[in-house]
Amino acid sequence: MKTPPDENQLVRYLDDEMDLAEKNTFEASLAADAELRAEIESMSRLGAVLRSAMPDGRDVPHPDFFNSQIQVRLAEEKQAHVREFHAPAQVGGWLGWMRTPWFAAAATAVIAVVAFGFWQDRHSAPTGLSVVLSTYAPNPSVHAHSFHSGEAQATVLMLDGLASVPPDRQIVGQQVHHSDMDRQVATTPLFSDEGRVLLVRAVDGRNQPRLLEHTR
Amino acid sequence: MNPDMPSPTAPADGEVPDLDLVKRCQAGDTRAFDVLVAKYRSRVYNMTYHLIQNETEAWDLAQEAFIKAWRGIGGFKLDSGFYTWLYRITHNVCYDWLRKKKFESDGEFDDSRTEHRVAAGAEAVPQMAPRPDQAMRNAELKIRIDAAIAQLSPDHRQAILLKEVEGLRYHEIAEVMQCSLGTVMSRLFYARKKLQEILKDTYENAA
Repeated sequence: MKTPPDENQLVRYLDDEMDLAEKNTFEASLAADAELRAEIESMSRLGAVLRSAMPDGRDVPHPDFFNSQIQVRLAEEKQAHVREFHAPAQVGGWLGWMRTPWFAAAATAVIAVVAFGFWQDRHSAPTGLSVVLSTYAPNPSVHAHSFHSGEAQATVLMLDGLASVPPDRQIVGQQVHHSDMDRQVATTPLFSDEGRVLLVRAVDGRNQPRLLEHTR
Repeated sequence: MNPDMPSPTAPADGEVPDLDLVKRCQAGDTRAFDVLVAKYRSRVYNMTYHLIQNETEAWDLAQEAFIKAWRGIGGFKLDSGFYTWLYRITHNVCYDWLRKKKFESDGEFDDSRTEHRVAAGAEAVPQMAPRPDQAMRNAELKIRIDAAIAQLSPDHRQAILLKEVEGLRYHEIAEVMQCSLGTVMSRLFYARKKLQEILKDTYENAA
């Protein structure tokens, strides 16, 4: 939509978008044009009424929940991104590899290695063994290693070099069976294996964890 | 620019400047983003509410605008205003929604198809607690202005809000609405003419 120049000048004058020279010229013409003057005065009054009646901000209903929901979504996106990063390559990509001439030789070698590993595994490790291939401790004074306990049917992670726990420290454990996030209220109840709610975790406006309820 | 309108990005005493927060966001700090959300949520919500005229949808769209801002914050250039940039995202989110819902018809907004509800007095109760008759007049004025603005097309409505309520300069409005300066002036002129036509008796009596 094209606006005639005088209309552009009118709004620019009203909104103080003119430089000094333009403003002086416009005010000179304004002095000689009663109709234009009346229009300017009317629009000025309109602007004043609009500004006085309309807030420049509007309280968001449930502002803390507004912030916490955004933080929940950001956390979800981050997790999704991590999952995507670690996901296997798409089928299309593998099909391309399969067309390469060395694919048959490489596939034969891989099958041989996997078969040997499988044979080794059957003869040296108990069924259901979870193997930790490598460990990394950010603190260089801590050495991490693991072993599989057949008796406990568990893989044990050992951390050597950590400070000992004070003897008077009371440590209480809870066996959490599963959790179920309620997106409507952004809470996550943690359940025991009997289906009892052990505690309810929520996040505050700054995405810090908060314990809402603790039942024993 | 309205001289009474404080710059939305000017930090108050003790407040961390927007650009510092943005830099922290670009490094992946979601807490810094939380501060920006707390700072701008009422302005963003105000904009989505005026454009959509539905409280629930406006809340969701304000959320969506902030999520998109987070996704795009890595590409934000630090030499421009965060607030204007955030408004442009909000503008796009609202217009995508409007297009999806097919709310636009020939440049004029069809009020009958919205869920516009004005809670009388809810947002018009002045802080200084004037006399009841004055409060009632203010509330009534607010209702009439809201209803008049709802009759504008989304483009005209947003232009007038960005100018009169947010106090943005023409070049900032053009950036938010992704249009030329000439279009900004045109939208402001015709929005004001329309509001004059609808509200003339109201504001002449109020003066």
